[in-house]
Amino acid sequence: MTCQEFERALPDVIGGDRVFEQEQHLRSCPACKSLVSDLNAISQQARSLQDCEEPSPRVWNSIEIALRQEGLIRQLSPRELAKVHTFPSRWRSAWLLPVAAALLVAAGIVQYERGSSQRIAQRPPAATLPPSQPPAIEVANAADDQRLLQAVGERAPAMKAAYEANLENVNSYIRDAEESVKNNPNDEEAQQYLSNAYEQRAMLYEMALDRTLP
Amino acid sequence: MLSRQRAANLVVVMVLAGVVLAAAETRKDYRFKVGRHANISILNQYGPVSVKAGARKQVIVTAILHSDKVEVDQGQSGSRVTLLSHLLPGADETTGQVEYEVLVPADASVTLHSMTGPLHVEKLHGDVILEGNTANVDVRDVSDGHVHVKTLNGPVTLTNVVDGHVEITSLSGDVVLNAVSGPLVEVNSNSGKINYDGDFGGEGEYSLTSHTGDIEATAPGDASIDVTARSEQGKVVSDFSLQPKHTSFPIRAGSAFAGTVGKAASSVRLLSFSGKIHLKKRQTN
Repeated sequence: MTCQEFERALPDVIGGDRVFEQEQHLRSCPACKSLVSDLNAISQQARSLQDCEEPSPRVWNSIEIALRQEGLIRQLSPRELAKVHTFPSRWRSAWLLPVAAALLVAAGIVQYERGSSQRIAQRPPAATLPPSQPPAIEVANAADDQRLLQAVGERAPAMKAAYEANLENVNSYIRDAEESVKNNPNDEEAQQYLSNAYEQRAMLYEMALDRTLP
Repeated sequence: MLSRQRAANLVVVMVLAGVVLAAAETRKDYRFKVGRHANISILNQYGPVSVKAGARKQVIVTAILHSDKVEVDQGQSGSRVTLLSHLLPGADETTGQVEYEVLVPADASVTLHSMTGPLHVEKLHGDVILEGNTANVDVRDVSDGHVHVKTLNGPVTLTNVVDGHVEITSLSGDVVLNAVSGPLVEVNSNSGKINYDGDFGGEGEYSLTSHTGDIEATAPGDASIDVTARSEQGKVVSDFSLQPKHTSFPIRAGSAFAGTVGKAASSVRLLSFSGKIHLKKRQTN
């Protein structure tokens, strides 16, 4: 299986419906393996941001003003606008390829999200839970973590303690990062922490469930 | 007299035990003919793997199997070579151990998976992908290739790795980077410490981030960097006098600093949630 064929089947791979050929390719191709790992990390992060409120329009205006002041964006003159409209037709179509690739990846993520959302939607929404109960997504993650540790305990009992300790550290990181993003939604560094934390969690799961290791 | 006799008996027993163990070990040698940009993949649950640059167009493997409870499955498809330590029923961390010494063409790409390692790669120009749970990872004298490392607890050391992308994710293992530079250098750590000693050269993007691990970065006085450092709960110190720059977050003295040194050719981000951060200036004699 080539990388192109694998990428065409990405939505199925991300959704968990992998066939043997795809598994084989994933094991032998570092680039595709890294891509799937990144998409899973993005998807997990997207899940956690689902309930975040959109920033108000005032925030976007402030960002636009700051960008104009720094000279990073500017208003196009009528002459420049005319040039944009007469852009050569071959260049109009040249950007379609990366856009198509981005749409394919986005479609894969949306499809994966639908699968995850259906699971989460079956649980009672957070607003109706009594205040003492954790949000649904934390309950789901805790259940996944228990299943992971059980699988590690069966396959490599000597490693269970290490996985448990690292999982605790990673979840602590995610909690701290989520709190930071919640307090400062426009803080790039806070978003970087969250992205890194989810990448660590995705890596931990990948290593624990790697069927090529005991 | 009695204790001398006991010591002598002990020595004899140990020698015999060594002989028995050595007898249980099996050495296997493999040679593969490959073309340019070969791809070598080794999966070895228990035991060291060392990969070094050798002759062009061939891969030479020496495997020492520690018992008959493990065997080496090897395969080749064109210039793609795979080696797998296949554990048989009853194998454990001792009996399932295999030691690999591998010589590959310098332009080969290498992928190593191991639980215990250690993993060692040296003098290659191709991509290097290393994954280990507790494996000690050591990469040195690698240029032009991408280096990807993932470990749980294993310490990671990179020395003289230049001109490629470096991406390291290590949860609780310490990460040490000596003379590492390139267009992209990223370290994502949880509780492990990050220690960088280099020049932040190559007009690259350097991102050293951790949750609780301390970050210490040492650069020369004539470094050319645009640096941002921040810790939510830890102390942040810079030995450099920085030209201030605009940031998207408020600079709280002792918790963050941001600015430029020289022509600001490289971008450097040092972020830790609760670890300490220290940007040190290397003393020149």
